Amino acid sequence: MSVKFIKETDFNDFVGKMMEARTVVGPVAKKTKFVFGELESVDQLRLDYDVTILPPKKLFFPPRQDLLKFHGQKGTSCICPQPKVLFGVHYYDIKAIDQTDFLFNENNADQNYLANREATTIIGTTIQNVSPRAFFGSVGKNVNPKGHDGFLTRINGGWVFETLTSKGRDLLDFGKFIDADDAQKAEAAKVNTEEKTKSPEKIKAEGDVVAQKVRKSFSEDELWEEFAKDCFSCGSCNIVCPTCYCFDVQDNWNVDQHSGARTRSWDGCLKADFAECSLGQGACENFRETKGSRFRHRIMRKAVYSNEKLGGPACVGCGRCSLSCTADIADPVNVINRIVEG
Amino acid sequence: MAVRVAYFDFTCCEGCQIEMTNFGDAAFLELLNHVEVVEFREAMSEKTTEPIDIAFIEGSFSRESDRKRLEEIRERASIVIAYGACAATGGINALKNHQGDYKKAVYGKDSEMPHLDSMCARGVDAAIKVDYKIHGCPMDKNEFVRVVSHLLHGKEPVIPDYPVCVECKQNETVCRYQLGDHCLGQVARAGCGAPCPADGIPCEACRGFVSNPNEEALEKVLIENGGLSAERAKYKSRMFAANHRSDAVKE
Repeated sequence: MSVKFIKETDFNDFVGKMMEARTVVGPVAKKTKFVFGELESVDQLRLDYDVTILPPKKLFFPPRQDLLKFHGQKGTSCICPQPKVLFGVHYYDIKAIDQTDFLFNENNADQNYLANREATTIIGTTIQNVSPRAFFGSVGKNVNPKGHDGFLTRINGGWVFETLTSKGRDLLDFGKFIDADDAQKAEAAKVNTEEKTKSPEKIKAEGDVVAQKVRKSFSEDELWEEFAKDCFSCGSCNIVCPTCYCFDVQDNWNVDQHSGARTRSWDGCLKADFAECSLGQGACENFRETKGSRFRHRIMRKAVYSNEKLGGPACVGCGRCSLSCTADIADPVNVINRIVEG
Repeated sequence: MAVRVAYFDFTCCEGCQIEMTNFGDAAFLELLNHVEVVEFREAMSEKTTEPIDIAFIEGSFSRESDRKRLEEIRERASIVIAYGACAATGGINALKNHQGDYKKAVYGKDSEMPHLDSMCARGVDAAIKVDYKIHGCPMDKNEFVRVVSHLLHGKEPVIPDYPVCVECKQNETVCRYQLGDHCLGQVARAGCGAPCPADGIPCEACRGFVSNPNEEALEKVLIENGGLSAERAKYKSRMFAANHRSDAVKE
């Protein structure tokens, strides 16, 4: 594709023109934090954000999503993708979206996710401020972000815009872009290499060593119970995770008792009843009854179980789980380092 | 034949009944097309001694003399639903369970009046079998409709048993702790949709605790992150969850 440059002074005009033609979702402030939200004005856009509360997967896979509406016995699909530009995604979240793209595509392809995903143009951007609990530089180092349509890198005096697909290239029409020169390309490459060294926390081993050692610790029940001692089973670490994709489906009637909706909502394996299964005739059993076994499952799931399928760990180092855990026990860096250092 | 429902109240402010009528078209009036209300003190004067399909009970069980009335309701109701915090858990009434001198403090010179003699406030399941609970102070309209709709269709309603944090995160509400505040969301039963933190106030666990609350960790987090004194952190969750705490008074 192509590598373009736009001057800082022309940048807001570009975003404004894009917003006139498209629905643009980008990082915006919410109290002292950030969220991905639909832009109503250019100055809402906060490309200097560190991390958002929820990952951008919520655009394709909302926390609560109606799958179908029913009217008596007749069901109607709720798939109704709205074209959007998802603007300003950090590279760790692009990696996470690439994982959920793969996971929702395998076996029974999930059209509720895929239709929204296909309608979205994803533009990545440089991490200008780093979240205090991020460790993206030390996890899945051999996994490169892919699946996005363009990437914006902030350099002196403006932005380098690398277009990767025709969806990304289409956005060039909205701004005064010129071809980037070699010096600008080199500066952008340097910025994007350096940003990976800026995450404050660090996993002290390579992914395959981590996977091997964490798997070996499976039977150390006491260790897992100790890690989980202060766990509230509140599922916050799951809900904010960009690579978690479990959901629960329920049918609810409207008050007319005739119509209603089948809705899915994000679930989490740290919740106490997540693994509760029906045994029939009113009986049930929970196959991960203890806090320790649930805590272990999440770490296994992120660092071990899916590595082969995904080509790397199912964790991208965003640090959202660490930030969201009020007991501060969720940080994978602390858990994994303790295990690898024995 | 329409499903026969009746509303009964015990120790409470009757606010959940009022809330029910406040639901208006969105819940209450529309539901009347599908149920026949045979007793409802806040809204009608008729009463019944006939069998009932669903009995909604509001208020806590706080005096022995109420046991008989509760048992009578149970006997003629196919399904008993405890609705509102008081009926479901004893609610805010259960604060008195830890307050030896409450009569004097509240009523002064009238404190010896016989009708003030009551026992510990507990949920109605301390007296009779309860089939379902609709938690909250007051209960939530959407949850009420959901539970009743499931029952009208002969389905088992799902009552959430996970903490409010799940709903706050789903709503992308900035955590109270990240704003220098405290909160009980980590141990409070969800299902309300977490409106309080979204409006900028901490969760007080009005729906009571989840089945397995981590009280020890809560106390620690309230002190270390929430900035509460050790004394306040220890008793903070008593307001609505006195009967769910490990120091609940049993009798």
